[in-house]
Amino acid sequence: MEALQKSAREALENHKAKVIIGYSEGSGGRMRPIFVQSPAEAEKLTWNDRCTQNLAVYIAKPEVQKLGKPALVAPLPVLRAVLQLASENQIKEGDLLVLALSDGRVTELSQFSEMEEFVAKTPTHLASKDQEAIERLEKMTPQERWQYWQSELTRCFKCYACRAACPMCYCSRCTVECNQPQWIPVPAHPLGNWEWHLMRAMHLAGRCVSCGACGDACPLDIPIHLLTMKVEADIHREFGSQAGMKVQSEHALSSFKVQDKENFII
Amino acid sequence: MARIGVFVCHCGENIGATVDCARVAEACRKIPGVAHSVDYKYMCSDPGQTLIREAIAQNKLTGVVVAACSPRMHEPTFRRVCSESGLNPYLCEMANLREHCSWVHEKSDVTTDKAIDLVAMLVEKVKRNKPLHPIKVPVTKTALVLGGGISGIQAALDIANAGHKVILVERDPSIGGHMSQLSETFPTLDCSQCILTPRMVEVAQHPNITLYTYSELESLDGFIGNFKTRIRKKARSLDEKLCTGCGLCTTKCPNKKIPSEFNTGLGMRTAIYVPFPQAVPNKPVIDREHCTYYTKGRCRVCEKVCPTQAIRFDQEDQIVEHEVGAVVVATGFTVKETDFFPEYGYGKYKDVINGLQFERILSASGPTLGEVKRPSDGRVPETVVFIACAGSRDPAKGIEYCSKICCMYTAKHAMLYKHKVHHGQAYVFYMDIRAAGKMYDEFTRRAIEEDHVQYIRGRVSRIYERNGKLIVQGADTLLNAMPVEIEADLVVLATAGVANEGAEALAQKLHVSYDSHKFFVEAHPKLRPVETNTAGVFLAGACQSPKDIPESVGQASGTAAKVAALFSMDELTREPVVAVVNRTAPPLYSTCVGCFLCQSACPYQAIEREEIKNRNGQVVKTIAKVNPGLCQGCGTCVAFCRSKSIDLQGYTHEQVYAEVMELLS
Amino acid sequence: MSEFEPKIVAFVCNWCTYAGADLTGTSRIKYAPNVRIVRFPCTGRIDFMLLLKAFSQGADGIIVSGCHPNDCHYTSGNFHARRRWMAFRNLAEFMGIEVERIQFSWVSAAEGAKWADLVNSTVNRVRELGPYDAYRQMAASSWQ
Repeated sequence: MEALQKSAREALENHKAKVIIGYSEGSGGRMRPIFVQSPAEAEKLTWNDRCTQNLAVYIAKPEVQKLGKPALVAPLPVLRAVLQLASENQIKEGDLLVLALSDGRVTELSQFSEMEEFVAKTPTHLASKDQEAIERLEKMTPQERWQYWQSELTRCFKCYACRAACPMCYCSRCTVECNQPQWIPVPAHPLGNWEWHLMRAMHLAGRCVSCGACGDACPLDIPIHLLTMKVEADIHREFGSQAGMKVQSEHALSSFKVQDKENFII
Repeated sequence: MARIGVFVCHCGENIGATVDCARVAEACRKIPGVAHSVDYKYMCSDPGQTLIREAIAQNKLTGVVVAACSPRMHEPTFRRVCSESGLNPYLCEMANLREHCSWVHEKSDVTTDKAIDLVAMLVEKVKRNKPLHPIKVPVTKTALVLGGGISGIQAALDIANAGHKVILVERDPSIGGHMSQLSETFPTLDCSQCILTPRMVEVAQHPNITLYTYSELESLDGFIGNFKTRIRKKARSLDEKLCTGCGLCTTKCPNKKIPSEFNTGLGMRTAIYVPFPQAVPNKPVIDREHCTYYTKGRCRVCEKVCPTQAIRFDQEDQIVEHEVGAVVVATGFTVKETDFFPEYGYGKYKDVINGLQFERILSASGPTLGEVKRPSDGRVPETVVFIACAGSRDPAKGIEYCSKICCMYTAKHAMLYKHKVHHGQAYVFYMDIRAAGKMYDEFTRRAIEEDHVQYIRGRVSRIYERNGKLIVQGADTLLNAMPVEIEADLVVLATAGVANEGAEALAQKLHVSYDSHKFFVEAHPKLRPVETNTAGVFLAGACQSPKDIPESVGQASGTAAKVAALFSMDELTREPVVAVVNRTAPPLYSTCVGCFLCQSACPYQAIEREEIKNRNGQVVKTIAKVNPGLCQGCGTCVAFCRSKSIDLQGYTHEQVYAEVMELLS
Repeated sequence: MSEFEPKIVAFVCNWCTYAGADLTGTSRIKYAPNVRIVRFPCTGRIDFMLLLKAFSQGADGIIVSGCHPNDCHYTSGNFHARRRWMAFRNLAEFMGIEVERIQFSWVSAAEGAKWADLVNSTVNRVRELGPYDAYRQMAASSWQ
């Protein structure tokens, strides 16, 4: 914690960054993002297991961009989101500084190559509770899975907090806002919810850094992050690629190998 | 409001006997937006077409659905009919009632119901069709020919003689390719150099041909009719304008022991060299890897002796740029070296050579001046064994294909050997004799019957040395696999013809596909053998697969005809079925967010970056842009784009969505 | 009397499977009339959203078919489609969609008989599975 505050203070004092985007204590035991612009404020920065929001979501926001070059407090998923955004041409080298967190240490990273090295050294497996949840679902019969997701997704009232929390959902016009044709029905009814969540997971295929921020953001605690995590895990297993590891990487679904598996095609 | 016309064709009995066409027409009349719906015996006949023409005029139709045969059959016909009636041809769609309905189902109400569904689906599509206009792209009437072997030479000359400019690029210091290395050619046995060198000179002197030798393709961008190419002219280390080709430098160069590439390592050359006497251009290059000045920093003998002071030690590679409209790839092939064959001694026996090396031994201009002498000790070999299919047709060696030229040149080799060494004994081990071609079978028969070459049907399992002889162990499968052992003085392997080293990298630069053996792939194996799947890039010669000279020349002329046909037009007309990135009002400009993940999904490199600038010229957004000249309309990007910012004309989101929704309503 | 007749929608590419289905016609090979073909330039163009739309509109089964690997008219559209199908199919399965109602296939322009077999086998399988009531009910309950 002190190391983080010290790094942040130095970054501001040495003019390496104009604003530190980090976590601070919010209300009701929840963490909230904080935008630290002066060295004195750095002491408000904190870091603990409750910091689940993916701060990379703020990088592209015009309000944040106005503040000047940011330094991002970055646990692994945030760092991977930064790399994935870079690979999708959303940020450029030098646009931001990263204060990477791991094992209580803080590492200042400015080059994408440094971030790639850092990520490559850190294990990227899913949290055990998510892994277990996915496995539990996989063991169910198709009917049970259908029932499970029907009951879960029917509760959704389409607040789109999941979309707002996801650093990869940066489109200026989401497909749900397309009305010619109306791909996804507007109302929060079972079909509209079903298609929205299935589409969201497909749109994150090969791009999801498995941070789980979408599920944490859901006010109804619908475990929608399991959908994107499952797709991502399958892609990693089948095609060997993982989102947010390298800037110059081929996106899993816009590349291919001739020998890709096809045992489901006759 | 849409005013759609539906025209249901009986196709005589073909549709009419199975589908109740009158009921289809009647049902379609009730679809909202259908202003006219009729059935008729033969829509594609003259009266049928007239019926459509009149209906378009009388009912002021805004779209047409012809429910008849497959659109793959008559779509052009009916689109033309619409066009003639003043309706944009892309406002016409066809419902496939014949191949997809009447011919595959029994006569029943269910079949008629299906027919109605199919027409209704297309009605919903055509309601959303937009008028499209063929895309025109200009044509730069200059061809880039890569490779100065016989294929490249032929293609370049044909295109140049048709009146178009040609840029011919050759990697080696001289044009001529493999053909210049050959002794005599089958089946006529005329001297290769004698028929080739006049062509080489013609290339050099042709006013329409710009020749870059000792040069390689650096990059190719753009699309058919409009390519931009960068060519690397490697430093020859001399001023070509000053050099007269007198050759004094090559005689004085003290570094004389460098294996000659042209003589397949059987002869030596100097560090400053002309690959062979008839080289075009007849200007030397300095081989910097071996030149004493470059390796040790002193010598400069060539500089001192050069009468025109043409030597330039500090010359650097030069990049030249050209705009071209078409590219002919004629980069040829290579043959496997003897070290590829562990069973034949891994290349360690000096007297086991490959076919190309034997060509040099037979050649009057070769290292032995045409006398058959074996490499190890210069003795005339009394017994020569030729092994066909060395590597070829051998899945265990990873080369499943037939190299095609070996049967013929092996017969030629054996024949020429017998002509030069009358008392010598020639054996050929073969799998099959593949001598299909004009005068080819006669040629191989001549080798057997007149020149008494002994053909043994079987493979050679092993070669080893014993007392200065090569012991060739094989089997004669026509004699019940009887073991055969021959004491040979020289063994010639007809090694497999394989793709050039670097073929893969070149294919990637050209954006053409290649097969598992790195040979370039034609657009269609039968009907488009000289085109590639990249429009404007054509193939000639052995870079596509091993070929003999007549075939290579024939293909090169075919390619040249394709290029000439392309250049006969000032503008190209392309189908407007292409992808388009949407544009919206500022400040959004487009819903595209510029992630460019579509770029790698595009098989044609058709997606570019477009910078949107504000009034002050500042870049405010970078979005994807589809180059309509390159786009072939597959729509892979469209299905891939998350924000639905790309759409495919002719198969838009709205169209396909409406089709699916209608089908199941 | 009213045996269940499944509704099958086929999403096919123009160059291979559509042409293959044309060949089925020219060869006069009969197959079940339950299928409706929607024509696309390439399997690469087929949006997974259309598959969802088909189910929501009452399709009982879906066929998606294009050129064999390496045969794509556009060189690689089918390879891209194949990866997308894999991701989609796994996700659909994870969400409890009855993926055995979706048949992915390669049918070339020369495989007229294969197209007939593909349609017949898909129709038979879906007939055994019965109407896709679960999906239909979800859709129906939404529009009430």
